[in-house]
Amino acid sequence: MAPVIDESGRINLFSEDFARCPQPGYAELRSRCPVGRMIFSGDPVISRYEDVLWALRHPEIFSSEMESQMQLGTERPMIPQQIDPPAQTRYRKLLDPHFSRRKMEELAPAVARKARELIDGFIERGECEFDSAFAIPLPCSAFLSLLGLPLSDLSFFLELKDDIIRPHKGRPGMPPDQLPPVRKAAGTRNYEYFRRALDEREAHPRDDMLTALSRAEIDGERLSRNEILDICFLLLLAGLDTVTSTLGCNMTYLASNPDQRRRLIEDPKLIPGAVEELLRWETPVVAVPRVIKRNVTLSGVELKEGQLATLLLGAANTDDEHFDDAQRVDFERERNIHAAFGAGPHRCLGSHLARMELRVAMEVWHERIPDYRIKPGEIPRFSPGIREALYLPLVWER
Amino acid sequence: MRVRVDRAKCVGHGRCYVLAPDVFEDDERGHCVVMSERIGPELHEQARRGEQNCPEGAIQLSD
Repeated sequence: MAPVIDESGRINLFSEDFARCPQPGYAELRSRCPVGRMIFSGDPVISRYEDVLWALRHPEIFSSEMESQMQLGTERPMIPQQIDPPAQTRYRKLLDPHFSRRKMEELAPAVARKARELIDGFIERGECEFDSAFAIPLPCSAFLSLLGLPLSDLSFFLELKDDIIRPHKGRPGMPPDQLPPVRKAAGTRNYEYFRRALDEREAHPRDDMLTALSRAEIDGERLSRNEILDICFLLLLAGLDTVTSTLGCNMTYLASNPDQRRRLIEDPKLIPGAVEELLRWETPVVAVPRVIKRNVTLSGVELKEGQLATLLLGAANTDDEHFDDAQRVDFERERNIHAAFGAGPHRCLGSHLARMELRVAMEVWHERIPDYRIKPGEIPRFSPGIREALYLPLVWER
Repeated sequence: MRVRVDRAKCVGHGRCYVLAPDVFEDDERGHCVVMSERIGPELHEQARRGEQNCPEGAIQLSD
């Protein structure tokens, strides 16, 4: 297994080994260098729960306003993710009600229907490649119906988000310097798509989120077209990838730990707790970036203005200093204050949507296919960065 | 028992009103609202569960 700390003391989070099983690497980081230095850039990597949470709650020092917009193909910061309070707070007040737990729970029956329909499509075969057959289409169709976009545009969106998040996927061997143009082109297609969709909503309003955004006001003033596009860009990136990745991590864990899976099948009431515990243990969004606005000391290390800090949510969530029996996966954990959705003012806007989708997916899947395992002789493949199980072959008795 | 929430700390994780639905509820933004500041012993366990699971430490219980 590739070491997470290399011989020069730099941290490498980008190996496939680390993406498949990051917890031992996290433990090494917390104990050997809680504020370490990233490979190549030398920028700080922060791993203790206390430090990560402190940073998340101090946006005036750990800012989300990146100057590296171009890297994700955007022309301006994404709203509200790449904006700091107080401006960010005004956008959150507008957006939070659209993503409240109550609103998201209303979508649960449609998500359950879609999950059953997907399973109907492959259950008789006794096997599937989980990522493409279930983990990708389920959250993506929920996202499209939430926004009010036609399901027929699904493949367009999937290609778009892959070009932006994983431009190397499907382009093996492409030199890194050619990746930004791929992202930029995808960004342009994204803006164009939403420009057209918004024009259409303005001419013919509907009962959907895009129409609501096109009419939304902050302090009596309509959002500008660019503001709406910058919100849509974020919704696309955040809504299409993270739940897919979480589903793959969860199913890899449950396929490899039949005793734990058996408990969920015998007592489905444990599923919400299992969703929380697997968010903690697996933390599919391994890290979030922040720009340091003024010098600050964490765990005895001075961080300098202008550095790009990596806050390792996954390492924080498995910190023994903060969780009882942190290395044990316990679906009935009494106190689970994980930061898989971040914390502080940027707490994931879609966390209630994600939790509902994960719960419903786990319930429906285990009702229909309670016993399954990773196809013998195969090893799941994980993507570094956001931990998507890109290849997860599962088999079960027909 | 007395239950209070620091609304300045709450960011809407929503753990409290999911785990302790008889003690906490959500406002329009999904932030925490304490249903009744004074609660009887039958709700103490729920309230503790909500308090323990707030990632922001925004909930305070006192006698």
